[in-house]
Amino acid sequence: MRRLSTISLALGKERTRTELVPFLEEVTQEDEDEVLTVLAEELGGFIPYVGGPDNAHVLIPALEALSGAEEPVVRDKAVESLNLICQAFSTSQVKEYFLPLITRLSSTDWFTSRVSATGLYAAAISKLEGTERNDLLVLYKDLTQDEAPMVRRAAATSLPKIIGELPELDFDENSTLHTMFISQITDDQDSVRLLSVDVLIAIAESLKKQSITKYNSELIGLTLDLFNDKSWRVRYMAADRYERLARSLDGSELREKFIPSFVKLMKDSEAEVRTAISKQIPGFCSLIPLAAIISEIIPNVELLAEDSSQHVRAALASEISRLAPLLEKEKTTQYLLPTFLQMLKDEFPDVRLNIISKLKIVNDVIGIELLSKSLLPAISELAKDKQWRVRLAIIEYIPLLAEQLGVSFFDKELGPLCMTWLWDSVFSIREAATLNLRKLTEVFGVDWAKDEIIQNVIAVAENSNYLYRLTALFAITTLIPVMDQAAITDSILPFIINLTDDAIPNIRFNIAKSFKVLAETCLTWTDGGDEQDSATTTGPASPAAAKTDSASSTTEPSTGTSESTAATANKPVSPLAKQIITETIIPRLEKLTGDSDVDVRYFANKSLEEIDVLAKPLLEK
Amino acid sequence: MEVDQEDPLSQVKHPASTSRSGDGIPEIKPAENLHSIGIGILETWIERLLKCEILSESQVMRLCDTAREILVNESNVQPVSSPVTICGDIHGQFHDLLELFRIGGPCPDTNYLFMGDYVDRGYFSVETISLLLAYKVRYPHRITILRGNHESRQITQVYGFYDECLRKYGNTKVWTAFTDLFDYLPLTALVENRIFCLHGGLSPSIETLDQIVQLDRFQEAPHEGPVCDLLWSDPDERSAWGVSPRGAGFTFGFDISSQFNHANSLSLIARAHQLIMEGYQFTHEERVVTIFSAPNYCYRCGNQAAIMEVDENMNTTFLQFDPSPRSGQSNFSRRTPDYFL
Repeated sequence: MRRLSTISLALGKERTRTELVPFLEEVTQEDEDEVLTVLAEELGGFIPYVGGPDNAHVLIPALEALSGAEEPVVRDKAVESLNLICQAFSTSQVKEYFLPLITRLSSTDWFTSRVSATGLYAAAISKLEGTERNDLLVLYKDLTQDEAPMVRRAAATSLPKIIGELPELDFDENSTLHTMFISQITDDQDSVRLLSVDVLIAIAESLKKQSITKYNSELIGLTLDLFNDKSWRVRYMAADRYERLARSLDGSELREKFIPSFVKLMKDSEAEVRTAISKQIPGFCSLIPLAAIISEIIPNVELLAEDSSQHVRAALASEISRLAPLLEKEKTTQYLLPTFLQMLKDEFPDVRLNIISKLKIVNDVIGIELLSKSLLPAISELAKDKQWRVRLAIIEYIPLLAEQLGVSFFDKELGPLCMTWLWDSVFSIREAATLNLRKLTEVFGVDWAKDEIIQNVIAVAENSNYLYRLTALFAITTLIPVMDQAAITDSILPFIINLTDDAIPNIRFNIAKSFKVLAETCLTWTDGGDEQDSATTTGPASPAAAKTDSASSTTEPSTGTSESTAATANKPVSPLAKQIITETIIPRLEKLTGDSDVDVRYFANKSLEEIDVLAKPLLEK
Repeated sequence: MEVDQEDPLSQVKHPASTSRSGDGIPEIKPAENLHSIGIGILETWIERLLKCEILSESQVMRLCDTAREILVNESNVQPVSSPVTICGDIHGQFHDLLELFRIGGPCPDTNYLFMGDYVDRGYFSVETISLLLAYKVRYPHRITILRGNHESRQITQVYGFYDECLRKYGNTKVWTAFTDLFDYLPLTALVENRIFCLHGGLSPSIETLDQIVQLDRFQEAPHEGPVCDLLWSDPDERSAWGVSPRGAGFTFGFDISSQFNHANSLSLIARAHQLIMEGYQFTHEERVVTIFSAPNYCYRCGNQAAIMEVDENMNTTFLQFDPSPRSGQSNFSRRTPDYFL
């Protein structure tokens, strides 16, 4: 089936029209759903193969049959293809071929064709004007009042699209549109009523675009009906689109009428409805006066923060920060911060996470000083939370906080925490703490790391538990690429050498890996001892440059192409680096290749090979 | 204290694995392959399995063949060095196994000892056993995997592993390969001669570890006898031997553990096999500990899981953990819109 286009190209336009298409029409009666789906889709692209839009009508019978299929996927594809054909049609073709098709489908006995018919009106209406358009709307009205709920649902689903195609909207009482909408909003099936929410939005937005306000009070009345619907699914749908509904109905006085119903939904008996409305709070609040936010909304926000459903609280936590810019500094501190603190201590991790990840918005409003004064105690508490994922979330937020707090404040308040995490019982926390130290070094600089971290970490590694030694090794190895020459030669190198003879093989094979990182970093040191340069160069960039250099110099040894590559690679490697690699790193690794443990031997050999590839071209210069 | 981890047997049976040139300089290439699958290929398999993607049928066959060559040389009482992290039942809860590695650290940086029951019950038994075997083949000295009562042809036909293999591979060849391999898993392990690890518990037919070494384990898990007991028994508050409500194995009392530990100079028996709400539990005055590593067992028991870290000085630390957020099934409330649109 996917090759149909190739077949029709081979047959030519004439034979496609007279032989292939009629054949396909027969196929529609028997084949598998999967095949029919492909056929329905392919036929949409068939216009050029049957000779362009002028002949496109020959495709209609096959697609008409497909749009009556039992399988919804087949019908949807057929409708999509028919709409493509309609777009290609001229107005007269629409009248000649498409209108009769719509009429036929709309009046077939079996409901599947009528469901498909609802999807075709929008395309036809966009091509028609005047009475023909109105006739179509009248025909559509019958579908919106169809006896089968499936058809009514489909009609309600497609109606917003049709409304979008109407240049001017007539919503007078007893107008076609009015009748359709009223029948939907009062349907006895809640699955139809909930779809009328989107229809209402389409009507209101369309009227707003046309600057027609005379229907607004009626629409508001209807909207309020939806908010009060007895089915929670309808209320959910309306709550979920609250901001759009309120926005589309213009005029701030009118919006104020929405406040009581908003508050009512915040207290709805169904958690799903409360979840949906919680997400609408900042959006809706941006439409109403500040006084109303404080007197009406805030008290209920406080209630939602204590909601019995964790999903409601999580939804609230994800959006509540956006209230801060509306309330501004003073009122945020007064009204929002207490709720924040409470939610930061929520027993459900998602609630806490959602609050933390949006703290920046609050920070922008009230400033870091106030934020840290009120929130730091809570953050310190979370940093020791029993759930390791909460601790993880806090760690990931630390570099951001550090940047805003500055060194001295940070060292005092959060520094000790960062070291505590390094010795956490959960591996993932230790790993995150390690990366955190590296990010902090990038924020505060090498000297800070030397004073605050390196010595500390190395001291702990004296511990008799191998886990501390391994963690210290991981931390130091992660920091190597952001360290300067002095730190590496004075502290890091002795530390690593010291662990080369550790009793635990897991330490020894990680030492083998660390030696490679160390060599990689040494190779970025340039001659002339420009320490600052090497210190600010971060790891990944320079070894990459070294790699390209080695590659180009091996492939084209005679030409001087390597000189045009990165500046670091260009300069000769410093004698100190050369000395460390050839006199310390390589001999130690060679010793490890004779280790009693197979994994130590493997990783020592691997590091030696990798260093060989990296260093050889550079050291030979 | 450094103990040579190389199993002396492996040097005998795999001359290629430890061959070095005469002057003691090791070979440059990783010629330490114990096996026919290259290290590079194994690492790509492990990478795929960590993403919860299954291996192909032929890859599973190769993996099982290679794993068998390694396991056949392991002892019924496989010696293990500290530090090591000891884990209990997993039961196909693959995402929770990944959570376990997030808590305890990845293989090979952390050494692991698993005490059986990798398959059945959970929805990802194939992924779980494949990953553990791939680790075993790639890092034979970093991970030890023992046999549990579910590592058996009979049990897996009832509790899900057979059906899962059939569903994921369309035939039973993979199940046959895995269950054939299960016959080679060691029955017990001994950490630094002090902590005796096994899936179930003690047996009235066994008084010393030497007797276990003498057992012929290369067979389908039997219905009775010492091998069966090691996989099925449970500690009990009542003293002496008792009839097990499970219909296989025995219950054993404080006096039995006490006598066994004393006779074999053991400080602790670590075993799995029983659901523990807190993930671990000491019994028999800290002579026996039960470790269970499947959190929210069967996706509904609400229990915590635990693992036991043993450091190089034989100090033990227990780490408890909860199910991974993506434990196979969504634990969130009904999502609203889709089903009525």
